[in-house]
Amino acid sequence: MQYTADFLKKVYRDLLSIRFFEEKQVELYAAGRIPGHIHSGIGEEAGVTGVLTTRKEGDFFKISHRPVGAGVIIGAPLETMFAEIMGRVGGNALGMGGVLHMTCREKGMIGFSGTLGCDAAAAVGAGLTIQMNETDNVSYVFYGDGTSNRGPLHEAMNLAAIWKLPVLFVCNNNQFAISTPSSYSSAVPNPGADRAAAYGMPSKTVDATDVVAVYEAAKELVDGIRAGNGPAVLECKMYRVRGHFEGDQAKYRDAAVTEEWKKKDCVLKMEKKLVDEGVMTAEEIEALRAEVLAEMEAAIDAADKSPEPTPEDLYRNLYV
Amino acid sequence: MQMTYLQAVAAALREEMQRDDKIIMFGEDIAEFGNIFGVTRGFLEEFGPKRIRNTPISETAIVGTALGAAVTGFRPVAELMYADFTMVAFTEIFHCVSKWRFMHGADYKLPMVIRCAMGSSFGAGSEHSNCVESLFMHAPGLTIISPSTPADAKGLLKSAIRSDNPILFCEHKQLYQTKGEVPEGDYTIPIGVADVKRPGKDVTVIAVGLMVRRALEAAEKLEKEGISIEVIDPRTIAPFDKETVFESIRKTHHAIIVEESNKTAGIGAELAAMLQEEMYDELDGPVGRVAALDVPMPYNITLEKHVIPDADDIAKAVRAQLARSL
Repeated sequence: MQYTADFLKKVYRDLLSIRFFEEKQVELYAAGRIPGHIHSGIGEEAGVTGVLTTRKEGDFFKISHRPVGAGVIIGAPLETMFAEIMGRVGGNALGMGGVLHMTCREKGMIGFSGTLGCDAAAAVGAGLTIQMNETDNVSYVFYGDGTSNRGPLHEAMNLAAIWKLPVLFVCNNNQFAISTPSSYSSAVPNPGADRAAAYGMPSKTVDATDVVAVYEAAKELVDGIRAGNGPAVLECKMYRVRGHFEGDQAKYRDAAVTEEWKKKDCVLKMEKKLVDEGVMTAEEIEALRAEVLAEMEAAIDAADKSPEPTPEDLYRNLYV
Repeated sequence: MQMTYLQAVAAALREEMQRDDKIIMFGEDIAEFGNIFGVTRGFLEEFGPKRIRNTPISETAIVGTALGAAVTGFRPVAELMYADFTMVAFTEIFHCVSKWRFMHGADYKLPMVIRCAMGSSFGAGSEHSNCVESLFMHAPGLTIISPSTPADAKGLLKSAIRSDNPILFCEHKQLYQTKGEVPEGDYTIPIGVADVKRPGKDVTVIAVGLMVRRALEAAEKLEKEGISIEVIDPRTIAPFDKETVFESIRKTHHAIIVEESNKTAGIGAELAAMLQEEMYDELDGPVGRVAALDVPMPYNITLEKHVIPDADDIAKAVRAQLARSL
């Protein structure tokens, strides 16, 4: 496929935005400015970026814990996201939800759960809304190879399939559920795509170090969904570069393999493509990196000015 | 007009669906079959297959789908058939539905109702007889409604459907065929407001669901002995209407809680603790609890009756309470 320079630049910018969001999280966490735990999605940005490049106005999104920065390209305000992650009242949930709940309803994000898998059907419900409204929108749901073994995901898939709901199930297979490799936990090589047949859904697998390849695979499935063909599964093959949480040394796996995957990094790969194809010069790439980074830093500074929530704030969103 | 509790539930659902086309219903066997108790009979014909949908046996997906539809603009009424099956979707109700708005922000309203049929029903056994309110009282953010009369069932279900909060609506199976006076036309009953089912002066009896009827039977027996009990039906278990109960206790200075589920960690456990914290100076004795024995519900009918409180058990507890404070 031939793409315009603007299209490729936009995809690259989105990819970079998530990368820097994920890096900033790690930095803030290391500096003790984030409570709880974070789950860095560094190295996994091309999966969500490629898939979300197929989105349009009116679509719904249920993202997952990795990369949580997916919200950046959907349009959740950066400052609000950082305020939420820092536990401040300026966050979307007044700092009560935290890193697993940075979201923006106005942009179609339906929220997500830290108990992985039990929110899959929420995306099916969003798909039901689309079907009731008779539009050609799509409800996107992201999950991982770990979650692919959870029952609620399978109930959600089956229901979406029998009702022919417009849902794209995206399995970001980063090969590890904390320390457990996908090769151990699933009896099939493709824990996302191979299960699709059980529900009569089409599926594809794609190399998710290549953001354009992810876009193309997603587009084929999304076109079918928008045409009314019902749900589908896309499995994005990737690798979790960092530990499950910050501080996890990942001693349970071969560090040499990790190093090999780092060489295939999705951001570096896209940058090489842009330069090789004459879309951007190295200088333009540097300038864009600086620009995106500056946006992140400005948002962090603004979020940092947001006060801590008060005990009264605890009750503000409990009941309408 | 006179109607049964089941007819009242059905009328609330039908009238609300006629009023607002954003209301959709789904659950196991609710379409052609019209729900295993017959609540939604005729709904498929009246509202069509888009709004009335059968689901597979997939409780987690039923609850999760309701959540997703609610957060994106519809007002789903999800049905879980037996209240016991809320356990299958416990994570979805406890972690997701109850906390979704708290965790995500003010925009995340969940106008959804989870309906279920609870309680003993003559030999339904250990997995089809549970009353589940107390299990969910531990989930701030969730509203729990448990009506005892046809009029309350209709008015509260309408309020539940119109509410922007997620609601667990517990219908009692043994009450389905009981009749009562129901107001004509469209009316609602406010959520979070208890009802004094029978005024009295000696002991405040707080009873839930089927136990309201049994407490009223006990009141008749006790009246003949010159004992007057005030029977309060909280109707909404959470948020709980403390003030109506406090007002009664300021008059009677005695309180007994009657429920159909196991005594340990039940509704009575919470209310007794709350009352001793907040009403200690008004109480002339310990708060009493009348509840099911701490065993799973037996299948044997004689033993089922033995396990669940009846009017005599309630009357006995009232007499003991008064004797103690003499």
